[in-house]
Amino acid sequence: MDMMVSTLQQQRAVTEQLRREAAIKRIPVSVAVSDIIKYINEHEQEDCLLVGFSSQKVNPFREKSSCTVL
Amino acid sequence: MAADTAVSASPEETLESLLREVEALKQKLEEERQKLNDVSLSSIAEKLEPITFPNLKLRRVLKGHQAKVLCSDWCPDKRHIVSSSQDGKVIIWDAFNATKESTISMPSTWVMACAYAPSGTLIAAGGLDNKVTVFPIGGDEEPGVRKRTVATHTSYISACLFPNTDRQLLTGSGDGTCALWDVESGQLLQSFQGHAADVMCLDLAPSEMGDTFASGSCDRSALVWDMRTGQPVQAFDTHLSDVNGVKYHPSGDSILTGCDDSVCRLFDLRADREVARYGKDSILFGVNSVEWSVSGRLVFAGYSDYTAGAWDAVRAARLCVLCGHEHRVARLQRSPDGTALATASWDATIRIWA
Repeated sequence: MDMMVSTLQQQRAVTEQLRREAAIKRIPVSVAVSDIIKYINEHEQEDCLLVGFSSQKVNPFREKSSCTVL
Repeated sequence: MAADTAVSASPEETLESLLREVEALKQKLEEERQKLNDVSLSSIAEKLEPITFPNLKLRRVLKGHQAKVLCSDWCPDKRHIVSSSQDGKVIIWDAFNATKESTISMPSTWVMACAYAPSGTLIAAGGLDNKVTVFPIGGDEEPGVRKRTVATHTSYISACLFPNTDRQLLTGSGDGTCALWDVESGQLLQSFQGHAADVMCLDLAPSEMGDTFASGSCDRSALVWDMRTGQPVQAFDTHLSDVNGVKYHPSGDSILTGCDDSVCRLFDLRADREVARYGKDSILFGVNSVEWSVSGRLVFAGYSDYTAGAWDAVRAARLCVLCGHEHRVARLQRSPDGTALATASWDATIRIWA
Protein backbone atom coordinates (compact mmCIF):
# COMPACT_ATOMS: atom_id res chain seq x y z
CA MET A 1 0.00 0.00 0.00
CA ASP A 2 2.87 2.34 0.86
CA MET A 3 4.29 1.55 -2.56
CA MET A 4 1.02 2.67 -4.14
CA VAL A 5 1.01 5.93 -2.22
CA SER A 6 4.61 6.77 -3.10
CA THR A 7 4.01 5.95 -6.79
CA LEU A 8 1.00 8.25 -6.74
CA GLN A 9 3.06 10.99 -5.08
CA GLN A 10 5.84 10.59 -7.64
CA GLN A 11 3.34 10.72 -10.50
CA ARG A 12 1.77 13.81 -8.98
CA ALA A 13 5.18 15.51 -8.86
CA VAL A 14 5.81 14.64 -12.52
CA THR A 15 2.39 15.99 -13.48
CA GLU A 16 2.87 19.20 -11.53
CA GLN A 17 6.26 19.73 -13.21
CA LEU A 18 4.66 19.32 -16.65
CA ARG A 19 1.81 21.69 -15.71
CA ARG A 20 4.42 24.32 -14.79
CA GLU A 21 6.31 23.75 -18.05
CA ALA A 22 3.11 23.93 -20.10
CA ALA A 23 2.33 27.30 -18.51
CA ILE A 24 5.62 28.90 -19.67
CA LYS A 25 5.27 31.88 -22.00
CA ARG A 26 7.15 31.24 -25.24
CA ILE A 27 8.51 33.47 -27.98
CA PRO A 28 8.84 32.55 -31.67
CA VAL A 29 12.18 31.02 -32.70
CA SER A 30 12.64 33.87 -35.22
CA VAL A 31 12.81 36.38 -32.35
CA ALA A 32 15.14 34.19 -30.29
CA VAL A 33 17.45 33.67 -33.25
CA SER A 34 17.62 37.34 -34.19
CA ASP A 35 18.64 38.10 -30.58
CA ILE A 36 21.47 35.56 -30.89
CA ILE A 37 22.69 37.38 -34.04
CA LYS A 38 22.33 40.75 -32.33
CA TYR A 39 24.43 39.58 -29.38
CA ILE A 40 27.19 38.41 -31.74
CA ASN A 41 27.20 41.74 -33.61
CA GLU A 42 27.46 43.66 -30.34
CA HIS A 43 30.29 41.57 -28.87
CA GLU A 44 32.38 40.19 -31.74
CA GLN A 45 35.06 42.87 -31.42
CA GLU A 46 35.80 41.72 -27.83
CA ASP A 47 35.97 38.10 -28.91
CA CYS A 48 39.71 37.33 -29.19
CA LEU A 49 39.15 33.68 -30.02
CA LEU A 50 37.01 34.83 -32.98
CA VAL A 51 38.78 37.91 -34.36
CA GLY A 52 42.27 37.42 -32.92
CA PHE A 53 44.34 40.13 -31.26
CA SER A 54 44.91 43.62 -32.63
CA SER A 55 48.59 42.88 -31.98
CA GLN A 56 50.24 39.68 -30.74
CA LYS A 57 51.78 41.81 -27.96
CA VAL A 58 48.44 41.93 -26.18
CA ASN A 59 48.08 38.16 -26.29
CA PRO A 60 49.09 37.00 -22.80
CA PHE A 61 49.86 33.53 -24.18
CA ARG A 62 52.03 34.62 -27.14
CA GLU A 63 55.39 32.97 -27.66
CA LYS A 64 57.96 34.82 -25.58
CA SER A 65 60.34 35.24 -28.50
CA SER A 66 61.03 33.40 -31.70
CA CYS A 67 64.81 33.71 -31.12
CA THR A 68 66.62 30.74 -29.64
CA VAL A 69 70.19 30.46 -28.42
CA LEU A 70 71.96 27.76 -30.34
CA MET B 1 -1.30 29.34 -22.54
CA ALA B 2 -3.64 28.50 -19.67
CA ALA B 3 -2.45 24.93 -19.65
CA ASP B 4 -2.94 24.47 -15.96
CA THR B 5 -6.69 24.75 -16.36
CA ALA B 6 -6.88 21.93 -18.90
CA VAL B 7 -7.23 19.37 -16.17
CA SER B 8 -7.59 20.96 -12.80
CA ALA B 9 -6.38 19.19 -9.71
CA SER B 10 -9.14 17.21 -8.11
CA PRO B 11 -9.12 15.36 -4.82
CA GLU B 12 -9.89 12.11 -6.67
CA GLU B 13 -6.62 12.04 -8.60
CA THR B 14 -5.70 8.49 -9.45
CA LEU B 15 -2.60 7.08 -11.02
CA GLU B 16 -4.60 6.53 -14.21
CA SER B 17 -5.91 10.10 -14.35
CA LEU B 18 -2.44 11.48 -13.67
CA LEU B 19 -0.89 9.32 -16.40
CA ARG B 20 -3.57 10.49 -18.84
CA GLU B 21 -2.87 14.10 -17.91
CA VAL B 22 0.88 13.62 -18.36
CA GLU B 23 0.33 12.30 -21.89
CA ALA B 24 -2.00 15.21 -22.71
CA LEU B 25 0.43 17.76 -21.31
CA LYS B 26 3.38 16.27 -23.19
CA GLN B 27 1.47 16.47 -26.44
CA LYS B 28 0.36 20.00 -25.75
CA LEU B 29 3.94 21.04 -24.92
CA GLU B 30 5.22 19.59 -28.18
CA GLU B 31 2.47 21.34 -30.17
CA GLU B 32 3.13 24.69 -28.50
CA ARG B 33 6.87 24.41 -29.08
CA GLN B 34 6.34 23.42 -32.72
CA LYS B 35 3.88 26.25 -33.41
CA LEU B 36 6.55 28.89 -32.68
CA ASN B 37 9.27 27.14 -34.67
CA ASP B 38 8.98 29.56 -37.61
CA VAL B 39 12.60 29.79 -38.78
CA SER B 40 15.91 27.95 -38.38
CA LEU B 41 19.06 29.48 -36.96
CA SER B 42 21.23 28.54 -39.95
CA SER B 43 18.71 30.02 -42.43
CA ILE B 44 19.51 33.52 -41.19
CA ALA B 45 23.28 32.96 -41.17
CA GLU B 46 23.70 35.07 -44.30
CA LYS B 47 23.11 38.13 -42.14
CA LEU B 48 26.55 37.53 -40.65
CA GLU B 49 30.02 37.78 -42.13
CA PRO B 50 31.61 34.39 -42.66
CA ILE B 51 34.23 33.57 -40.05
CA THR B 52 37.84 34.09 -41.05
CA PHE B 53 39.14 31.78 -38.43
CA PRO B 54 42.32 32.90 -36.69
CA ASN B 55 44.25 29.71 -36.28
CA LEU B 56 44.10 28.75 -32.63
CA LYS B 57 47.58 27.61 -31.68
CA LEU B 58 48.81 25.46 -28.84
CA ARG B 59 50.59 27.90 -26.49
CA ARG B 60 51.28 26.02 -23.25
CA VAL B 61 51.32 22.46 -21.94
CA LEU B 62 50.85 22.05 -18.17
CA LYS B 63 52.52 18.83 -17.04
CA GLY B 64 52.59 17.54 -13.47
CA HIS B 65 49.63 15.23 -12.83
CA GLN B 66 50.43 11.52 -12.60
CA ALA B 67 47.10 10.35 -14.05
CA LYS B 68 43.94 11.50 -15.86
CA VAL B 69 43.03 15.15 -15.44
CA LEU B 70 39.29 15.14 -14.74
CA CYS B 71 38.44 18.81 -14.21
CA SER B 72 39.94 22.29 -14.38
CA ASP B 73 38.80 25.84 -13.68
CA TRP B 74 40.25 29.28 -14.49
CA CYS B 75 40.92 31.71 -11.67
CA PRO B 76 39.09 35.04 -12.05
CA ASP B 77 42.60 36.63 -12.31
CA LYS B 78 42.78 35.09 -15.86
CA ARG B 79 46.23 33.73 -15.08
CA HIS B 80 45.90 30.75 -12.73
CA ILE B 81 44.19 27.43 -13.30
CA VAL B 82 43.17 24.79 -10.76
CA SER B 83 43.01 21.17 -11.92
CA SER B 84 41.98 17.90 -10.29
CA SER B 85 42.98 14.41 -11.25
CA GLN B 86 42.53 10.68 -10.88
CA ASP B 87 45.87 10.78 -9.01
CA GLY B 88 44.12 12.32 -5.98
CA LYS B 89 45.84 15.67 -6.36
CA VAL B 90 44.64 19.21 -6.91
CA ILE B 91 47.22 21.44 -8.62
CA ILE B 92 47.29 25.21 -8.90
CA TRP B 93 49.08 26.40 -12.04
CA ASP B 94 50.45 29.67 -13.28
CA ALA B 95 49.22 29.31 -16.85
CA PHE B 96 51.37 32.20 -18.17
CA ASN B 97 54.61 30.45 -17.18
CA ALA B 98 53.24 26.89 -17.37
CA THR B 99 54.51 26.26 -13.83
CA LYS B 100 53.04 24.45 -10.84
CA GLU B 101 52.42 26.73 -7.85
CA SER B 102 51.11 24.21 -5.36
CA THR B 103 49.89 20.65 -5.05
CA ILE B 104 47.24 19.60 -2.56
CA SER B 105 46.55 15.95 -1.66
CA MET B 106 42.88 15.04 -1.46
CA PRO B 107 41.25 12.32 0.70
CA SER B 108 40.69 9.99 -2.28
CA THR B 109 41.67 9.41 -5.90
CA TRP B 110 39.36 10.41 -8.79
CA VAL B 111 38.91 14.08 -7.90
CA MET B 112 36.21 14.74 -10.50
CA ALA B 113 35.33 18.35 -9.74
CA CYS B 114 37.22 21.51 -8.79
CA ALA B 115 36.37 25.20 -8.80
CA TYR B 116 37.75 28.63 -7.93
CA ALA B 117 35.69 30.99 -5.77
CA PRO B 118 34.94 34.46 -7.26
CA SER B 119 37.53 36.07 -4.94
CA GLY B 120 40.23 33.71 -6.20
CA THR B 121 41.21 32.91 -2.59
CA LEU B 122 39.22 29.69 -2.06
CA ILE B 123 39.18 26.41 -3.94
CA ALA B 124 36.61 23.60 -3.80
CA ALA B 125 37.29 20.03 -4.94
CA GLY B 126 35.77 16.59 -4.57
CA GLY B 127 35.01 13.31 -6.31
CA LEU B 128 34.82 9.65 -5.35
CA ASP B 129 34.96 10.58 -1.65
CA ASN B 130 31.35 11.90 -2.05
CA LYS B 131 32.45 15.16 -0.43
CA VAL B 132 33.52 18.62 -1.47
CA THR B 133 36.47 20.03 0.44
CA VAL B 134 37.03 23.78 0.49
CA PHE B 135 40.39 25.35 1.33
CA PRO B 136 41.90 28.84 1.25
CA ILE B 137 44.88 29.57 -1.01
CA GLY B 138 47.29 32.42 -1.39
CA GLY B 139 47.89 32.88 2.36
CA ASP B 140 51.12 32.33 4.26
CA GLU B 141 50.46 28.74 5.25
CA GLU B 142 50.52 25.72 2.96
CA PRO B 143 47.25 25.38 1.09
CA GLY B 144 45.33 22.42 2.39
CA VAL B 145 46.16 23.03 6.04
CA ARG B 146 42.81 24.66 6.66
CA LYS B 147 40.74 22.18 4.67
CA ARG B 148 37.06 21.95 5.48
CA THR B 149 34.34 19.58 4.31
CA VAL B 150 31.42 21.63 3.03
CA ALA B 151 29.21 19.28 1.02
CA THR B 152 28.33 15.60 1.43
CA HIS B 153 26.36 13.50 -1.06
CA THR B 154 25.46 9.79 -1.08
CA SER B 155 27.46 9.21 -4.28
CA TYR B 156 30.40 10.75 -6.16
CA ILE B 157 30.72 14.50 -6.79
CA SER B 158 30.63 15.24 -10.54
CA ALA B 159 30.56 19.05 -10.51
CA CYS B 160 30.85 22.01 -8.17
CA LEU B 161 30.83 25.81 -8.47
CA PHE B 162 30.56 28.93 -6.36
CA PRO B 163 27.37 30.82 -7.36
CA ASN B 164 28.84 34.36 -7.64
CA THR B 165 29.77 34.32 -3.95
CA ASP B 166 32.49 32.75 -1.79
CA ARG B 167 29.86 31.98 0.84
CA GLN B 168 27.87 29.33 -1.06
CA LEU B 169 28.68 26.21 -3.03
CA LEU B 170 26.55 24.41 -5.63
CA THR B 171 27.23 20.70 -6.18
CA GLY B 172 26.10 17.98 -8.59
CA SER B 173 26.38 14.31 -7.74
CA GLY B 174 26.08 10.74 -8.94
CA ASP B 175 23.23 10.42 -6.44
CA GLY B 176 21.07 12.30 -8.98
CA THR B 177 20.72 15.49 -6.97
CA CYS B 178 22.18 18.97 -6.97
CA ALA B 179 22.57 20.89 -3.72
CA LEU B 180 23.36 24.37 -2.45
CA TRP B 181 25.54 24.62 0.69
CA ASP B 182 26.64 27.29 3.10
CA VAL B 183 30.46 27.31 2.94
CA GLU B 184 31.03 28.58 6.48
CA SER B 185 28.76 26.15 8.31
CA GLY B 186 28.56 23.30 5.80
CA GLN B 187 24.78 23.47 6.13
CA LEU B 188 22.53 22.28 3.29
CA LEU B 189 20.54 25.30 2.06
CA GLN B 190 18.57 23.73 -0.78
CA SER B 191 18.35 20.33 -2.41
CA PHE B 192 17.42 19.99 -6.09
CA GLN B 193 15.64 16.74 -6.91
CA GLY B 194 14.33 16.04 -10.40
CA HIS B 195 16.91 14.05 -12.33
CA ALA B 196 16.33 10.32 -12.61
CA ALA B 197 20.04 9.43 -12.84
CA ASP B 198 23.56 10.75 -12.12
CA VAL B 199 24.04 14.52 -12.47
CA MET B 200 27.11 15.04 -14.68
CA CYS B 201 27.49 18.80 -15.07
CA LEU B 202 26.36 22.21 -13.83
CA ASP B 203 26.45 25.78 -15.04
CA LEU B 204 25.32 29.01 -13.46
CA ALA B 205 23.27 31.58 -15.40
CA PRO B 206 25.14 34.85 -16.11
CA SER B 207 24.78 36.96 -12.96
CA GLU B 208 22.28 39.49 -14.35
CA MET B 209 19.86 36.66 -15.15
CA GLY B 210 19.01 35.97 -11.53
CA ASP B 211 19.18 32.83 -9.50
CA THR B 212 18.96 30.02 -12.02
CA PHE B 213 21.33 27.24 -13.00
CA ALA B 214 21.37 24.37 -15.48
CA SER B 215 22.30 20.72 -14.96
CA GLY B 216 22.87 17.77 -17.29
CA SER B 217 22.34 14.14 -16.37
CA CYS B 218 22.66 10.50 -17.39
CA ASP B 219 18.84 10.53 -17.58
CA ARG B 220 19.42 12.19 -21.03
CA SER B 221 17.98 15.51 -19.98
CA ALA B 222 19.12 19.00 -19.10
CA LEU B 223 17.14 20.90 -16.48
CA VAL B 224 17.01 24.61 -15.66
CA TRP B 225 16.44 25.26 -11.94
CA ASP B 226 15.15 28.09 -9.81
CA MET B 227 17.71 28.30 -7.01
CA ARG B 228 15.31 29.84 -4.51
CA THR B 229 12.38 27.44 -4.85
CA GLY B 230 14.48 24.34 -5.60
CA GLN B 231 12.14 23.48 -8.50
CA PRO B 232 13.09 22.71 -12.09
CA VAL B 233 11.57 25.35 -14.37
CA GLN B 234 12.44 23.91 -17.79
CA ALA B 235 13.41 20.49 -19.10
CA PHE B 236 15.08 19.58 -22.41
CA ASP B 237 15.05 15.91 -23.32
CA THR B 238 15.99 15.51 -26.99
CA HIS B 239 19.35 13.91 -26.10
CA LEU B 240 20.05 10.30 -27.03
CA SER B 241 22.52 9.65 -24.21
CA ASP B 242 24.20 11.11 -21.10
CA VAL B 243 24.43 14.91 -20.96
CA ASN B 244 28.09 15.43 -19.97
CA GLY B 245 28.44 19.19 -20.40
CA VAL B 246 26.21 22.26 -20.12
CA LYS B 247 27.00 25.95 -20.58
CA TYR B 248 24.84 29.08 -20.64
CA HIS B 249 25.12 31.35 -23.68
CA PRO B 250 26.87 34.60 -22.60
CA SER B 251 23.53 36.42 -23.04
CA GLY B 252 21.87 33.97 -20.66
CA ASP B 253 19.03 33.33 -23.13
CA SER B 254 20.03 29.81 -24.13
CA ILE B 255 21.98 26.78 -22.98
CA LEU B 256 24.40 24.56 -24.87
CA THR B 257 24.72 20.87 -24.01
CA GLY B 258 27.36 18.27 -24.87
CA CYS B 259 26.10 14.71 -25.08
CA ASP B 260 27.60 11.23 -25.12
CA ASP B 261 25.77 10.76 -28.47
CA SER B 262 28.54 13.01 -30.01
CA VAL B 263 26.21 15.98 -30.61
CA CYS B 264 26.09 19.44 -29.00
CA ARG B 265 22.64 21.03 -28.84
CA LEU B 266 21.49 24.62 -28.39
CA PHE B 267 18.25 25.18 -26.46
CA ASP B 268 16.71 28.64 -26.42
CA LEU B 269 15.12 29.24 -23.03
CA ARG B 270 12.55 31.77 -24.21
CA ALA B 271 11.44 29.73 -27.22
CA ASP B 272 11.60 26.70 -24.88
CA ARG B 273 13.05 24.39 -27.53
CA GLU B 274 16.10 23.07 -29.33
CA VAL B 275 17.23 25.57 -32.00
CA ALA B 276 20.52 24.11 -33.28
CA ARG B 277 22.62 20.95 -33.37
CA TYR B 278 26.39 20.71 -33.77
CA GLY B 279 27.34 17.27 -34.99
CA LYS B 280 28.56 15.27 -37.99
CA ASP B 281 28.23 11.64 -39.04
CA SER B 282 32.03 11.38 -38.96
CA ILE B 283 32.16 12.24 -35.25
CA LEU B 284 31.62 8.98 -33.43
CA PHE B 285 32.72 9.73 -29.88
CA GLY B 286 30.94 11.51 -27.09
CA VAL B 287 31.18 15.16 -26.07
CA ASN B 288 32.54 15.61 -22.53
CA SER B 289 32.54 19.38 -22.16
CA VAL B 290 31.25 22.47 -24.00
CA GLU B 291 32.11 26.17 -24.04
CA TRP B 292 31.27 29.47 -25.81
CA SER B 293 33.48 32.23 -27.12
CA VAL B 294 32.77 35.67 -25.62
CA SER B 295 30.36 36.76 -28.37
CA GLY B 296 28.56 33.44 -28.64
CA ARG B 297 29.70 33.00 -32.25
CA LEU B 298 31.98 30.05 -31.53
CA VAL B 299 31.07 26.81 -29.82
CA PHE B 300 33.89 24.61 -28.47
CA ALA B 301 33.48 20.95 -27.65
CA GLY B 302 35.88 18.45 -26.05
CA TYR B 303 35.53 14.86 -27.31
CA SER B 304 36.47 11.34 -26.27
CA ASP B 305 38.31 10.94 -29.63
CA TYR B 306 41.20 13.00 -28.11
CA THR B 307 40.26 16.19 -30.01
CA ALA B 308 38.50 19.46 -29.34
CA GLY B 309 36.42 21.12 -32.04
CA ALA B 310 35.40 24.69 -32.80
CA TRP B 311 32.03 25.28 -34.45
CA ASP B 312 30.31 28.27 -36.04
CA ALA B 313 27.35 28.52 -33.66
CA VAL B 314 25.09 30.09 -36.31
CA ARG B 315 25.92 28.04 -39.39
CA ALA B 316 26.34 24.90 -37.28
CA ALA B 317 29.46 24.03 -39.29
CA ARG B 318 32.74 22.81 -37.84
CA LEU B 319 35.59 25.29 -38.29
CA CYS B 320 38.60 23.44 -36.96
CA VAL B 321 39.83 20.51 -34.91
CA LEU B 322 42.38 20.98 -32.14
CA CYS B 323 44.70 17.98 -32.13
CA GLY B 324 47.48 17.22 -29.68
CA HIS B 325 46.01 15.44 -26.69
CA GLU B 326 46.80 11.75 -26.41
CA HIS B 327 43.66 10.75 -24.55
CA ARG B 328 40.09 12.02 -24.18
CA VAL B 329 39.45 15.70 -23.55
CA ALA B 330 37.57 15.71 -20.26
CA ARG B 331 37.04 19.42 -19.84
CA LEU B 332 37.43 22.63 -21.80
CA GLN B 333 36.96 26.20 -20.64
CA ARG B 334 37.86 29.63 -21.96
CA SER B 335 39.69 32.11 -19.76
CA PRO B 336 37.43 34.70 -18.09
CA ASP B 337 38.46 37.45 -20.58
CA GLY B 338 38.05 35.11 -23.53
CA THR B 339 41.67 35.26 -24.71
CA ALA B 340 42.48 31.57 -24.37
CA LEU B 341 40.98 28.10 -24.20
CA ALA B 342 42.18 25.46 -21.71
CA THR B 343 41.67 21.75 -22.37
CA ALA B 344 42.16 19.14 -19.65
CA SER B 345 42.73 15.58 -20.73
CA TRP B 346 43.03 11.99 -19.58
CA ASP B 347 46.59 12.16 -21.04
CA ALA B 348 47.50 13.87 -17.70
CA THR B 349 48.10 17.29 -19.31
CA ILE B 350 46.29 20.58 -19.62
CA ARG B 351 46.86 22.57 -22.81
CA ILE B 352 46.29 26.25 -23.45
CA TRP B 353 45.21 27.37 -26.93
CA ALA B 354 45.14 31.00 -28.08
